[in-house]
Amino acid sequence: MRLKDVIVGLAMTGAGIGYLGMAAALPAKDGVDAATVPFVLAWMMIGLGLIELFGASRRQAAAGQAAEWGGALTVVLTLLLIAGFIVALRPLGFPIATALYLFLQFMVLAPRAGRPPVALYAGLAASVAAVIFATFRYGFDLLLPAGPLVAWLN
Amino acid sequence: MFDLLIQGFAAVLSPQIFLLMVAGVAVGIVFGAVPGLTAVMAIALCLPMTYSLGPAAGISLLIALFVGATSGGLISAILLKIPGTPSSIATTFDGGPMMEKGEGAKALGVGIVFSFLGTIASIAALAFIAPSLASVALSFGPHEYFAIAVFSLTLIATLSSGSMAKGIFAGVLGFAVSTVGIAPVDAITRFTFGQVELNAGFSILTVLVGMFAVAEIIKVAETARSPITAPPAAMVKIKGFGFSMAEFLGQIPNATRSALIGIGIGILPGIGAGTSNIIAYIAAKKRSKTPEQFGKGTIEGVVASETANNAGIGGAMIPLLTLGIPGDAVTAIMLGGLMIHGIQPGPMLFLTQAPLVYTIFAALIVSAFLMLVLEFWGLRIFIRLLAIPKHILLPVILVLCAVGAFGLASRVFDIWTILAFGVLGYAFVKAGIPTAPFIIGFILGPMAETSFRRGLQLSRGDFTGFLTNPISGTFLALAVVSIAWQLYGEYRATRGPVGDNPLKLGGEE
Repeated sequence: MRLKDVIVGLAMTGAGIGYLGMAAALPAKDGVDAATVPFVLAWMMIGLGLIELFGASRRQAAAGQAAEWGGALTVVLTLLLIAGFIVALRPLGFPIATALYLFLQFMVLAPRAGRPPVALYAGLAASVAAVIFATFRYGFDLLLPAGPLVAWLN
Repeated sequence: MFDLLIQGFAAVLSPQIFLLMVAGVAVGIVFGAVPGLTAVMAIALCLPMTYSLGPAAGISLLIALFVGATSGGLISAILLKIPGTPSSIATTFDGGPMMEKGEGAKALGVGIVFSFLGTIASIAALAFIAPSLASVALSFGPHEYFAIAVFSLTLIATLSSGSMAKGIFAGVLGFAVSTVGIAPVDAITRFTFGQVELNAGFSILTVLVGMFAVAEIIKVAETARSPITAPPAAMVKIKGFGFSMAEFLGQIPNATRSALIGIGIGILPGIGAGTSNIIAYIAAKKRSKTPEQFGKGTIEGVVASETANNAGIGGAMIPLLTLGIPGDAVTAIMLGGLMIHGIQPGPMLFLTQAPLVYTIFAALIVSAFLMLVLEFWGLRIFIRLLAIPKHILLPVILVLCAVGAFGLASRVFDIWTILAFGVLGYAFVKAGIPTAPFIIGFILGPMAETSFRRGLQLSRGDFTGFLTNPISGTFLALAVVSIAWQLYGEYRATRGPVGDNPLKLGGEE
């Protein structure tokens, strides 16, 4: 039995059950209504999840694979940085939020070998943020949030 | 027809659109060449730039990116032995050995020229098949559209990479996600949790950008800190085309067969250039007088792969323009781009916006020529760009994806959406679930449900209407055959020795 496949099968079945629960809450009418297709899809998801679970129970367990915690940590940090970037977009404005995000993301993703060039990354982050903001705001008329810089930009 | 085509060329060759296309093809080639960057990313990146452009300029830019990215994969496939895109997998089989033998320039020359010829052949097929198919499709009603959607869904779910259960699940989940918002026919609000932003459902573009671009960035983040293992790309100088006229003429039958395979597979939803290049390679090997040379560095292999993958461009545009059905992720994002500009692909497009259709044809032809010119004379620049570190490039791409999502409706909500779908896409990668069926399920879901309910209304609740209608009955039967065929394949695979199924390799962009 392969644990990863069992988890995938359980997740597939769980998604189907969750969707079925939500479909059951929809207002019902006689015959084919707005809930019919979601019901069919939910049962299909549950069925496919069970098939995957059954298949997983018959498969041989894979040889022990060491978990790459360093990679997982980078992924979590990247997700947190993206979420922080989105949260900061309105209050800080696009140029500041983007420059901060890019600088931190460069640092997080920089290869382990050697010290990261902090000054280069900071300059690159600020200039890329400025170029993207100016290109879209003035070149393509896309009103990206300016945040505290709004007084200088208008 | 020729008047409209000339009109199309006049539009595309205006200085503004032409310059945009030059930039589009160049950016597309870079995205195709750099492993890990995809055509979907290239289009997602440039979509926000098209918001303020007119439909002709915007669509021409997207087409230029599509053509450039499909062809660009050959550069890294030959120089690094790493396919830049799945459509260049078979190019590495012989392109790599040719490079090792010191014939890199010849391999690149052959690849570039036959990529161009494959694209041109597919545009010719598109120009001749699409208008006729569109006129037939005009008579289609809800029964036919429902059956075509079901057939496309089963084909995609069963033929894309991974297990069949996971493939079908991905398609069904995509369909389920598409049910968020106002239901067709009775306008009941579903699964919005009181969020006004969800009333119109999720935008195709946010789903696509999240599942493909953001998920890819998260995936690369996992390995970004590890030491770089890819070899540096070698510089290659091409004199002329790198091959003789006799060699060119000798490859015409191979190129013709590969172009037909590429166009045929490109038309079928879900089995894009990722599969056609491998099938064309296998076909070329079977028909070759020197099959033992395949894998050791023969131009036949490069010709087959590169002609077929580029021939898929025009092939994939046929169902997109005539039926509004995208064949893969790249054409799905093209569909999103068309809709942003108020263009609804389908048979009516050929009646209501014929000049725009021919502008698309003209843009494809001009992009093919630009690809030929830029790949020859810009090769050194593209090789240098292969060296841009991913930890610099990918965060910038993410910011541009966020700009694109924000630009759809000036809502931060849409940026959250791309992040959510990015996480889902990453989970798919980790779980071994293919992404392409999810996207096609998401796009075809509303078409299937609306057509199903309207069809039932027309046949007064009688389900047999879907089977007695000849076209819908045929497509539903084909859907059953497609599932049965795959089940049989899986049964044989479990009983016999494990072998490579070329169809399993494609379908993902």
